[in-house]
Order: sequence, then structure tokens, then C-alpha cells
Amino acid sequence: MKKLAFHTMILAFCCGMISSAFAQQQQEITCFESRKGASEVVKRDLQPGWPNVKCSPKTGAVLWWGDPFDGTVPMGDMPLLGNVAPGKAVVKPRSEKLAILPMCATACHNGVGPAFNPPTLPKDKKPKPIPTMVGLLPDAQNLQHGRGRIWCLDCHHTTQRNKLVDNFGDPVSIDQPQLLCGKCHGDKMRDWRDGIHGKRIGEWASTGKKRWFTCTECHNPHNVQDGARNRGFVQIAPESPPQLPKGMKDAKYERVHGIAH
Amino acid sequence: MGAAALMTMSDDAKAATEWAEHFQGNYRLMTPEEKAEARTRLERRYSAEYGKKVTVDGTEAQPGVLMGYALNVRKCIGCRRCVKACVEENNQSRGKNPGERIEWIQVLRMERGEFATDKMNHGYPEGLGIQVGGNAYTPAGQVLEGQYRYEPEAVPEKDATYMPIACMQCEKPPCVKVCPVRTTYREADGPVVIDYNWCIGCRMCMSACPYWARRINLTNPVLPKEEMNPVTHYLGNRPRMRGVVEKCHWCLQRTRKGRYPACVEVCPVGARKFGNLLDPESEVSLILARKNVFRLKAELNTFPKFFYFYD
Repeated sequence: MKKLAFHTMILAFCCGMISSAFAQQQQEITCFESRKGASEVVKRDLQPGWPNVKCSPKTGAVLWWGDPFDGTVPMGDMPLLGNVAPGKAVVKPRSEKLAILPMCATACHNGVGPAFNPPTLPKDKKPKPIPTMVGLLPDAQNLQHGRGRIWCLDCHHTTQRNKLVDNFGDPVSIDQPQLLCGKCHGDKMRDWRDGIHGKRIGEWASTGKKRWFTCTECHNPHNVQDGARNRGFVQIAPESPPQLPKGMKDAKYERVHGIAH
Repeated sequence: MGAAALMTMSDDAKAATEWAEHFQGNYRLMTPEEKAEARTRLERRYSAEYGKKVTVDGTEAQPGVLMGYALNVRKCIGCRRCVKACVEENNQSRGKNPGERIEWIQVLRMERGEFATDKMNHGYPEGLGIQVGGNAYTPAGQVLEGQYRYEPEAVPEKDATYMPIACMQCEKPPCVKVCPVRTTYREADGPVVIDYNWCIGCRMCMSACPYWARRINLTNPVLPKEEMNPVTHYLGNRPRMRGVVEKCHWCLQRTRKGRYPACVEVCPVGARKFGNLLDPESEVSLILARKNVFRLKAELNTFPKFFYFYD
């Protein structure tokens, strides 16, 4: 967090910004919503004295939302979600956060070059290590998802690399990963659709407006199981523990001194 | 009463409201006018005390609503974000001295390793550990108080599972049964609430609660002005005074306005679910219909509306 602030400070300095802007940049606080690196928010005031988020000073996690729908867009179509009225389901688009996404479809994988047409794709479906790709996406080098049974183009569209792919090979927006993930994880998608799996914020009534957290906001799609840990959610730093009861010196006290029987 | 009139006319918001509060009745027995008056009084007092516009809401329970809560124990990673979000939202005391830091949610940590194969045979008598589960001095499955104060680099730890507890909002709450002044009661839409002004701080409810859900303000609560949440409810998160008991009320100031409780919104793994039990389409109703659900200490017949479940 501090590192990022430092970089922005240098950037602001290089651009020759005036000193008042410099002071503003210095106070900028960036927090993460669910998983680090997936959905960062910058703290600001929605109204005087009413911030958009409150962050944990210890871990930098968002603890509280002033407006749950800040920066969201309608979720778009979702099969079997006809009972949700239009505009009641919103998501925060991730595409603008993914810095290299606009380049994906134009710079290298534009789908027109002969080397990238489907006929010349590797027959063994093993991705070739391309130094540029490895540098851009370290996760992709050692793809954990599927334990070697799937490869890039099972999820990414063949000719439109800034899109995902559905069951029929049609492109799906990167902001609707559920349409892709649900292909295999149908039980999880059913629970997610009904609000049992995953996270939503906003209004609690079943007809209320909610911000849905999509699959990739909580799970890293390239390494869902977190390597050998084999858990769906990466480890994070916990918040500080509660106050010790009066007289207890530390948390190990009972282990050392035993408990009275 | 001349003095009373003088006191209430006073410019000092605290003195004026304190005098009137002495003659205030039990919130449940007040007329709507008296309730509105009490809330206006408090708004004035808090606004002066915290230096910003504080609202004290009094929204009543809506018909057709019975709030319910469900928590997925398989998902919980023990990060304690719910605990901190609750403190941010509900204006708990956050001082440094003993008794000045109040948290309503407690995350219990259970050690899986207690029942690990290498420890199973450590029982007493020798060699029979696997039958008795540990031994008399380190019994397997025994959780020590200190274990809840875990502070590792990262959670979830390999050999631990976590179980957050807070007020279970019982349908038959033991705390309500024992309250000598009847200041704590069940609201029509489910939550058990406290009229802090009527509480005498006897702590009967704290001993009666089988879920360790209630906390007392032994000292004057420490609540910095800039951290105070100005959107409050009379029965919810308005700042408390010294000597009163407080507990989780499912963020009444939010849920009565339709918003999810703070802990539900903050949970990074989506383990916490909240909804209307009378609505068959709500998240909680679907969980009750579909998942493996249990209530904590169900044998006590307190009938919590807080359900634990796993996939």
C-alpha cells in the first residue's frame, strides 16, 4: 500500500504537478475488498464526514462500505435469474482494473496473425513459455487450476483474448466469469445464484438491490486451490485479537500454568 | 419542577438531556410521542458531544419480517474482519485499558491437531489414549481461553477451524427471562434489543446467556469523535454510557432500513448470510431448505435464529 502511494507520489512529482495536488496524493489510502490484488479501492469522502470505505489500519482490508453500490454497473444477463428485477443485481467491473486487458486483443492476440489462428495451436495443448507472457502473467506459467487437465483456451477465447469463452465457444465478458466457471462448477454456481455461496452487499431483502461479488473477485482463477494448500481462499493476515481477560498475561498463559480441575 | 424547567432550558445539551432522561420511562411502554421526544433529546446530546450531526432512528419492526442469520462454519477462515467491522459500525468502546475494548463477536478457534493420529495415544492410562481422548491433564478437544487470542501471520492456520459466536437472537431468550427491569426484550421482527437508558447494569443477563454474547461497559466508553458512526438507532448502535450491558442486535439501524448487517457485508469468504425467515426466497430460507444446519446448544431450548451450516 505504502509502496503504491510512493510510486504515485513520484509520478505526480515527475509530471510537475502543483504542491497542493502533491499533498492530496500523499494522503491517498488504498484498501482491498476481498482478495488482495483483485479489487482495490481508494478511500475518499462521499459526503463530508462520510467515507466510501473504512479500512483496517492493521491489514488494509475494507471493513465498512459507506455506499455499497459505489462504482458498480448492472450485472448483465444470467441464466435462470429471471426473478431478479433489472438493475437489482450490480457488479463492480474488473476489466478497468486489469491493466493489460485492453492490449490483449490488439497487441498480440488479435486473432488475425497466422501464428495465432486455431489451426496452428499446439496439438498437445501445452502452453509454450513465451517470455513476454511469463513476465506479464506469472500465474500463467505454472497453471494450477485443473491440475494440468485444462489449458489457457479452455477458459480464454481463441481469437478474442480479452474475453472468456462459454459452452458454445462464444465470447463472454471478463466481468461475467460466472458464465464460464459455472460450466464445470455447476453446484457452486447454483448456490452463488441463490446467495448461499459467495458474497453480496447491499439490501438484504430477496428483492433488494445487491452488489454481487463475481467468482474472480474472491478466487484467483489461475490458482484457485492456492497450490498445495488446496483451499479455495488464500491465506490472509488476521485482525488483532480481543483484549485478554484481566489477570491473563498472554495467550499462552493457561498452557504454561495449567487449568484448575 | 421549577429546577427541572431551568435545567431543560439549559444551553448545555448534556445537562438538559440528562435531567429529562431521569424521568424517561421504559422505551417499550412509551407512547410514540414520548419515543420521538426521547430520540430528539438524544440526537441533540450526541450531536453536541461528538461534534457532528447524529441521527437517532426509531424505525419499528415491519410486519411479515422475521430476521434470521446463517453462518457457514466450513468457510470461516478466522480473519476477525467481522469483529472489527462490528466495532466500526456499532460504536463500541475502543480504549486501551482493561475493560475498555468491547467486541461483540468472538471467533473461537478449535484445534484439529488435538485429534491427530500422533496425539491420539497420549492418553491416560498409558496406551489407551485413543479410547479416552487425550489424558486428564491435556484432554483432547479441550479449548483453552487463550486459544481465542490467536495471532498467526496468516489465517486459516493448517490445524485449526474457526467458529464465530455472537448473540444468537433466541426466540426464547434466557437473558430476557432474567432481566429484573425488563429493559431487554425481543422485538417483533426477531432481534433481542436493550433500552440502554433503562438498564441498571446488574449483569443478570450476562450470566444467563449461554452464548457469552453480552458485554458490560465497566468504564466510561472510549469512542473518538472522528470514529463515531453518526447513523444510529435508539435500540441499536447509539453510544452507550457507563454501567450498561450491550450486545449484537443485527445492526438494527441498518437492517430496519433494508441494508445487510456490517458483519455480513465484510466477510471476505461470504460465510455470513442474512435474510427474512418468512420469505421462502431469502438466502437464509434457502439454506435451511438445502444445507446441513444446526443451532448452537440446541438442547437448551433457546431456539436461536442464528443457524450454523456447512455444504
